[in-house]
Amino acid sequence: MSRSDVLVDADWVEAHVDDPGVVLVEVDEDTSAYDKGHIRNAVKIDWRADLQDPVRRDFVDRAGFEALLSERGISNDDMVILYGGNNNWFAAYAYWYFKVYGHNNVKLLDGGRKKWELESRDLVTDVASRAKTSYHAKEQDSSIRAFRDEVVAAIGQRNLVDVRSPDEFTGRLLAPAHLPQEQAQRGGHVPSARNVPWSKAAEEDGTFKSDDALRSLYGGAGLDFSRDTIAYCRIGERSAHTWFVLHELLGQPNVKNYDGSWTEYGSLVGVPIEVGDAR
Amino acid sequence: MSADGCGAPAGGAPASAAKEAGGQAVVQGRVTRNGSALPLGYARLLNSGGDFVAEVPLGEDGGFRFFAAPGSWTVRVLAPGNIRAERVVSADIGKVTDLEVAV
Repeated sequence: MSRSDVLVDADWVEAHVDDPGVVLVEVDEDTSAYDKGHIRNAVKIDWRADLQDPVRRDFVDRAGFEALLSERGISNDDMVILYGGNNNWFAAYAYWYFKVYGHNNVKLLDGGRKKWELESRDLVTDVASRAKTSYHAKEQDSSIRAFRDEVVAAIGQRNLVDVRSPDEFTGRLLAPAHLPQEQAQRGGHVPSARNVPWSKAAEEDGTFKSDDALRSLYGGAGLDFSRDTIAYCRIGERSAHTWFVLHELLGQPNVKNYDGSWTEYGSLVGVPIEVGDAR
Repeated sequence: MSADGCGAPAGGAPASAAKEAGGQAVVQGRVTRNGSALPLGYARLLNSGGDFVAEVPLGEDGGFRFFAAPGSWTVRVLAPGNIRAERVVSADIGKVTDLEVAV
């Protein structure tokens, strides 16, 4: 798989924004950014309201995903281009989520909303109108999604990549530093995890680093490329960014995203936790 | 934004920490250009080793806010037009560190 299979740049988007069969989707946790201005023709997906079950902590089910994409006017044959704020965290999460439900023709806008803004490219407030479709999703692909028992079983057996900041990894902070630190769960990391913050895979403008730089980054952190890998963070969106790097850019075959992540693991009774630097 | 989320809302989390730090080590500030608020850009928080820790889009008033840990931090501002600026700050629990960044 080459980068052009999974990434597009801003020039490509400007050239293809009106193409039939291409659907731009902005994905954010805080969708006020979309409401203030977005790339022309883009529809929005709200990470929480649209992608999370309103009662259980889980994805929306298959029928819910089908209803969402049908309502947004996305068909099975469309090429979906995802972008968003936070250096594409939530767009990468949506990319992984689309793959879980079997939509294969999906790509990320490299650099996301930030690079687009820093380059002073056009944003509009007009909301695109798209005809409804009848989208059909596949069964969830469990080969790219990890659950808690699998994470516990992977301790010392597989690569565990904790992509949070070093302060979250060691237990000094419980959340990213742009959020208050009052949380219920314990601090620390899954034993045997390596700490490779998601941000090390990205340039300052939000684009992904080169394949050589990425291989050197994860290899240098102690990842064994011959082993299967589980990535996690706090709620699974930063680790979706790293899942994208390992699975889609570097072509590692068996990489899972643990979307329960630290808010689940750090609240479990009886599981082992390490604090401090990686051992 | 809720405690369950992880994203960075423009200007940083609207916590009660705007004026009182409580148990947090708050680093916050406002970015201006030619005396006016700069609403389009990003504030990045780097640790003492220069590693990225967090980033928020600037608020409509040019504001940003981080909840750090005690220690030395660098705030780096990025904005359209290749604008970059940096300030080194010290954070402490129970203290709000306020910055004015003119770019």
